[in-house]
Amino acid sequence: MNSWYSCGCTLALTGLVGCSLVEYSPNQTHMPATERALTNQALQRLQAHPKGKSDTVRFVFVGDTQRFYDETEQFVASVNRQRNIDFVFVAGDISDFGLAREFRWVHERLQQLQVPYLTVVGNHDLVGNGRAIYQTAYGPLNYTFRYGGTKFICLDTNGREYSFGARVPDVPWLQQQLQDTTGSRHTVVISHVPPTDEDFDPALVPSYTAALRGCPRLVFHLSGHVHRFSAGKPFHDGVTYLTTYSLAKHRYHIISLWGQRQFRLETVTYGPDA
Amino acid sequence: MGQMRRLLLGLLAYGWALQPVVAQQDAQPSAGPFFVALHFAGGTGLVAVGGGYRLAHQRLEPEVLVGYLPAKVAGRAAAVLTLKASYIPFSPRLGHSSWEVSPVAAGGWLSYTTGQQYFLTNNSAGRYRPGYYWWSSAVRVGAFVGPRLTRVGHPGTRHTPRQTLYAELGTNDLYLVSALTNHTLRLTDILTLGAGVKGSW
Repeated sequence: MNSWYSCGCTLALTGLVGCSLVEYSPNQTHMPATERALTNQALQRLQAHPKGKSDTVRFVFVGDTQRFYDETEQFVASVNRQRNIDFVFVAGDISDFGLAREFRWVHERLQQLQVPYLTVVGNHDLVGNGRAIYQTAYGPLNYTFRYGGTKFICLDTNGREYSFGARVPDVPWLQQQLQDTTGSRHTVVISHVPPTDEDFDPALVPSYTAALRGCPRLVFHLSGHVHRFSAGKPFHDGVTYLTTYSLAKHRYHIISLWGQRQFRLETVTYGPDA
Repeated sequence: MGQMRRLLLGLLAYGWALQPVVAQQDAQPSAGPFFVALHFAGGTGLVAVGGGYRLAHQRLEPEVLVGYLPAKVAGRAAAVLTLKASYIPFSPRLGHSSWEVSPVAAGGWLSYTTGQQYFLTNNSAGRYRPGYYWWSSAVRVGAFVGPRLTRVGHPGTRHTPRQTLYAELGTNDLYLVSALTNHTLRLTDILTLGAGVKGSW
C-alpha cells in the first residue's frame, strides 16, 4: 500500500513538472535543457560546416519576430526553399512581452530552419524579467563569432531599457572587439537599436560611431527595431548603416559578403503577398 | 481559436444544463466562513498561501494569495500577490457520501509581481514616452476553469466544515492576446495548470 502510494505520488509529481502547462510565473527563467544556451548550440552547428577565409558568406537577415508567430512560420518555409544559406540572423525583439513562453514559441518555429539561427537581444526582450530569460535561452547579450573570413560583433544597444546612463552599449568592449581582428578579413556589427534611433543612448552615439569609423575592416552596421529597410551613411563618415524588416512586413534580406568589403543585398518577399 | 471556443461553450452548456437538476441539498448560509488556501503553480508562484471568505451561499470564493517565486525559478526571488475569485455554479453531492464534485468552477484573478525589473505601467518606469509599452509587466490578469472535489464535514453550530481539492486550467491576458492575433498558436500553448487545496473547519 505504502509503496503504491509513494510510487503514485512520484509519478504524479514527475508528470506535473515535466508538463509544460505547469507554470509558476510567465516571467520564470526556467527552460527545458534542450532550449538553453541556444546561441552556443547554433554556433556549434555553424562551425560544423567551416568555410575558407576567402569563401563568400551568405546569410538571411531579418528583425523583430515579436508576436508574429504566423509570419514566422511562413518565413521559415520561405528560407528553407533558399539555397546556399549559411545561417539566419534575427536582429532582436524575439519576444513581445519578454515572457519565457514567447521565446519558446519563437524557437519552436525557428528551429524548423534547415540552417542554424542566431540572435541579438532587443528592447522587448529586456522587458520585465526578459533579460534573465534571454540569457538562459540564448546566452550573453554581447558576443562575437567568426565565420569564413568575417567577424560578427553582436551587442546590446537597447540603452533606453537601462534608463540610458552611458553604460549600454558597452563601447570599450566594442572597441576591443573591433581591434581584435585575428583570423578575420572583415567585420560586421549587429545590434537591435541603430544609433540613429531615439532608443539608443544619446550620450554614447559619438563614441559608438567613432569606434565604428575607426575600423577600416568594417563592412557595415546592421540593425532591426525600426521594422523597415533603410540604408545610408547617416553620420557622413563613410560607415554604412542598414536596418531590416520585421516579420510583419513579409520581407527579409539575404546578405552575401566577400572580398575585402564587398557585399550584396537581396530582398525576398514571402507569405500571402509573394 | 475554434478549439478553445468549442471547449468553453461546451463547459458552459454542460453547466447550465445541470444546474437546475442538482440544486444544493443543504440550506447554505449566505456568507462565510473564512477559509485558508494553499495553491501551486498556475502563474501565481511556485507555491502560494492565503485565504478568503465564502459568499453567495458557498458559490463565490474571493481570496487573497501570497506566492513565492524562488530565484531558481525566476533568476531573482519575487513575491506574487494575487486577488482571485472562484465561482462554483453547482456542486452536487455524490450519493449519500460526504463528497461533492464540481466539474466546472470558473474564475478570474489579478496578480502583482514584486521586483524592480517589473513596471506597473510604462509611465511609472520613467524611461518611456507614453504608450511605448501598452501593458504592465508587473500586473497580469487571467481566467481559469477546473474541477473541484470537496469533502463536507458534519454541520457545526454555524458552518459546515469543507475541504476542497481543485485544479485549474487557465491563461493570462498576454497569452490570450498572443493567441488571438496568431492562428498558429494552439490552445495548449497558452494554457497553464494550477492546483491547490482550501478548507474551513
